[in-house]
Amino acid sequence: MTGIGIDITEVKRIEDISLRHKGFLSRVYTPREIEFCAKKKNMYQHLAARFAAKESVLKALGTGWSGSIGWTDVEVVNDQWGRPEVSTHGRVKEIVKERGIKRISISLSHCRNYAVACAQIIA
Amino acid sequence: MDDREINEKVRMCIAQALGIDVEEVVPDAILFDDLGAESLDLLDIVFRLEKTFGIQIPRGGIQQNVLSSQGLKEDDLVKDGVLTPLGIEKLKMEMPEVDPAKIPEGFRAEDIPTLFTVQTFINLTKRYLKEKEVRGV
Repeated sequence: MTGIGIDITEVKRIEDISLRHKGFLSRVYTPREIEFCAKKKNMYQHLAARFAAKESVLKALGTGWSGSIGWTDVEVVNDQWGRPEVSTHGRVKEIVKERGIKRISISLSHCRNYAVACAQIIA
Repeated sequence: MDDREINEKVRMCIAQALGIDVEEVVPDAILFDDLGAESLDLLDIVFRLEKTFGIQIPRGGIQQNVLSSQGLKEDDLVKDGVLTPLGIEKLKMEMPEVDPAKIPEGFRAEDIPTLFTVQTFINLTKRYLKEKEVRGV
């Protein structure tokens, strides 16, 4: 199975929702993601990129946010060189195993206004 | 809270999240196609509904009801991202506000949000308000 998914997220929207809704961050992001982004000067750009990453992975898998899939089932972590990698949990981890997916590659980019992510599934 | 008040408040939450006039937010308007919503807007709407009504809507609230039925495995309802005949039947039952013709054979689970109407959120809110009442919270 192969698949590709892309998503674009407005940085300002993530900032607005984070500030307006208590609980948004902990519901959508893992503690590791929050910790990583909170250390950055442009925190909301990084959060927006991770939001786009979650959406793009689900698009690549072709599942969307269906059934028992949670936002934190797709986590973006950084390897020792700082490159983003996808770590899966919960239902998404089960899907990855069921479909024999070997790797999910991710590429992120962001500027002041927008963040984009592209995910590729390699079986 | 009566039905009319619930409807008005849900419409207001949607209008505020999308930054549009509440008059545009009619019950049969489709969130994505008619009101220009994006996926992040759905999350914003859910948070606003939770705050306004004091309810807790789980992740994928609507899809979860359809695709995580008691006694059924997710595989019985969705196979490789495509709804099974049983999944289609269940979705039509869970979303009576949607024209059944919009849920044809081969319908993908990831496309369920494209069906959401204003009425979908009104129904969802009523369901969770009822649950809240039953729990006595």
